[in-house]
Amino acid sequence: MRFSRSESLMRVIMLSWEYPPRIVGQMANYVKKLAAQLVKNKVEVYVITYHDFLTGGHDDSDGVKTIRVTNPVHTHIGVLTWVLTLNQEVERVSANVYYGVSKQVDLMDVHDWHFIPAAVTLKRGMDIPFTYSIESLEEHRSHGANSPFNMAIKSIEWLGMFEAKRLIVKSEWMRDEVIRLYKVPAEKITIIAPDSAGWLLDVLGTYRNVAQSGGSI
Amino acid sequence: MSRDLSVMMLSWEFPPRIIGGISPHVHYLSKSLAKSGVKVYVVTCDFPGAPQHEVVDGVEVFRIDSYKNPSPDFATWVYLMNVNMQKEAAALINGLGGDVDVIHAHDWLVATAAIGLKHVFRKPLFATIHSTETGRRNGIHFDYERMIHETEAWLTYEAWKVICCSDYMISHVQWAFGLPSDKLVMVPNGVNYEAYSKYRTEDLSQFRSKFALPEEKIVLFVGRLVYEKGVHVLVNAAPKVLDKINAKFIIVGNGYMKDQLSGLAKGMGLTHKVLFTGFIEDETLRRLQTCADVSVVPSLFEPFGIVAVEAMAAKSPVVVSDTGGLSEIVEHDVSGVKVYVSNPDSLAWGITRVLTDNSYANWLRTNAYKKIQEKYDWDKIAQQTETIYNNVLNEYSKSFWAQTTT
Repeated sequence: MRFSRSESLMRVIMLSWEYPPRIVGQMANYVKKLAAQLVKNKVEVYVITYHDFLTGGHDDSDGVKTIRVTNPVHTHIGVLTWVLTLNQEVERVSANVYYGVSKQVDLMDVHDWHFIPAAVTLKRGMDIPFTYSIESLEEHRSHGANSPFNMAIKSIEWLGMFEAKRLIVKSEWMRDEVIRLYKVPAEKITIIAPDSAGWLLDVLGTYRNVAQSGGSI
Repeated sequence: MSRDLSVMMLSWEFPPRIIGGISPHVHYLSKSLAKSGVKVYVVTCDFPGAPQHEVVDGVEVFRIDSYKNPSPDFATWVYLMNVNMQKEAAALINGLGGDVDVIHAHDWLVATAAIGLKHVFRKPLFATIHSTETGRRNGIHFDYERMIHETEAWLTYEAWKVICCSDYMISHVQWAFGLPSDKLVMVPNGVNYEAYSKYRTEDLSQFRSKFALPEEKIVLFVGRLVYEKGVHVLVNAAPKVLDKINAKFIIVGNGYMKDQLSGLAKGMGLTHKVLFTGFIEDETLRRLQTCADVSVVPSLFEPFGIVAVEAMAAKSPVVVSDTGGLSEIVEHDVSGVKVYVSNPDSLAWGITRVLTDNSYANWLRTNAYKKIQEKYDWDKIAQQTETIYNNVLNEYSKSFWAQTTT
C-alpha cells in the first residue's frame, strides 16, 4: 500500500537504533508511541531501525511502515565500528524509500547519535532536513569519561547538533546540558515533554516548521 | 553519452599525502583519465599545507577533514574518517546536480563512504583492491582483522566490478571473498616512465660516488624493511655475490626489521658493503635507480611489485623472486631474471649473472623498457579503465536504478 500525497500531510523517515520488538532502553517504546500517533494525524511514517534477523520492510498494524536492517559486517571490535558500518545499510533503505516515493520526503527525525552519520549524508545528498531528538548524551552515559572512544561518540553528537535543523529535548535540564556541553544556541532547541498535554501538536508543529524550511542550512 | 564521462574517486591518500602505493596510483590514473576527457573528482584526506580544493593536472581534488581526535585504533579511525568523507562527497555530488556517472573506491579504507554514496545516488560502484587483510597478515587471526576482512568482502559485494592489478591478485581476491569470476577485471598498475628519462642524460658520477666506489657495482633494493619483502635473503646472498664480483648493496627504505637487518650485515662482516639509507625522496631515488647496475626484488609475498616496474622504467636490469605479481611482470631471460623464492643461492646466481655479463644486462634493459611502454603506460591503463566504466554504464542504463534517479 502506498499513500498518495493528497491523503498525507507529511512524510517522515524516523531513524532509531531501537524499536519494538528490540528494546534496549526507553527510547524504543517512545519512538513506537510517537510514530503511531503521527500516523493517526495523517503523517506517513517510515521507521528505519536495526534487527539481527527480522530484516526487511513491514507495515505494522498501527500503520507505521518499519524497515529493519542488519549489519553486513558480522565481526566487530566495539559498538562504534558496529554503528558506523550499520549506517550504510540505513542509508541504503532510506534511499530506497526516497526513490520509491519520487523523492518526496519532508524530513527525518533521528533519535540519539547512532544514525546521525546517515542522516547527515542524506541531508547533504538529498536536501532532506532533519531534527535530532536527544534522549541522552554520551557525557552522562559515560559519567564524564573522555577516552578516544567517548570522544568519537561526542563528535558524532556534535555533528548531529550542527547539521540538524532543530534539536528536540524532553526537559529544560537537557536543554541546559546541550547548551553547556555543545554550545548550541538556545533558539535551536525545542523542549517537548512527552507527558505534556500538547506533546503531539508540538512535535507536529516542529516537524512542519522544519519541513517547510527545506534542506539547506 | 552526450556529455563527458565523470568519475568520483575515493582514496585515503593522494599527493602530497603519500603513505603507500594507492596515492601515486590514484594520481596517475586520474591524471590520464582527465587527459582523455574524463571529468575526475578525487575526494581524499587532508594534509598539512595542502588546499581543501585544487585542480591538479586537470583533476579536481577535494580534501576532507580526516578526523583528528585521538582514535581508539586504526580501523575505528578509518570508519570515522569515512563519515566525514561521505558527507563531503554527498554535498559535492548534490552540488553537481547528481552529475557523477560512477564512483570508484580504492581499498577498504574508503569502503563505507563509497557503499553509502552508491545507494544514496544510485550510481555504479567500482572497487580497486590493491591488497587484502588476509594477504597482509598471512591469514585472519583476530576479530580486528576479521572485521577488516569482512569490510573488504562487503565492498567487493557492493561493487559492480572489482579491479585488481595482476592475475595473481585476481585469483587471490576471488579466493578470499568467493567472487564470481566475471566480476573481476585485471588492469595493471602503471609507471610514469617519462619521469626517469631526464636522469639518463645527467652526469651521475658525482651522485654515484656518494653511495659506492667507482669500482663497485651497485645492487639496489627499494622497499619497506619488513619480513615479506625478503631483504634478509638479499643480505644472505651478498657474500656469495662478493666472491665473484665487487659490489655495494644499497638498501632503501624503513621498517620494523631495520635493526635486525643491519645487525645481520654486521655479524656477517659486511658493514662496508651494505648501506642502509632509510627513506629517500623521489628525486634521489630515481637517480639511484638509474645508477643501479642491478635492482633486486627478493619478496616472499608480492601482490604486484611496482618497484620492479619502476626499476625497469629506469632501465636498470631486475632480478626478482618468482612469486605473485612479479612472476607476471618479468619474463625470465627476456625482461629480467627470475630466481627461487627465499633462496640466497639462487638470488646470488641471478645477481652475479647480470653483473658479470654486460651485453646480457643491456639485453634485459632494452626488452624491459619496451615491455613497460607497452603494458604499464598510464594512458593505456586509463583507456582500459574507461572502457570498463563505459561497459558497466551500458548495463546500468538498462537497470531500474537508471530510471528512478532521473
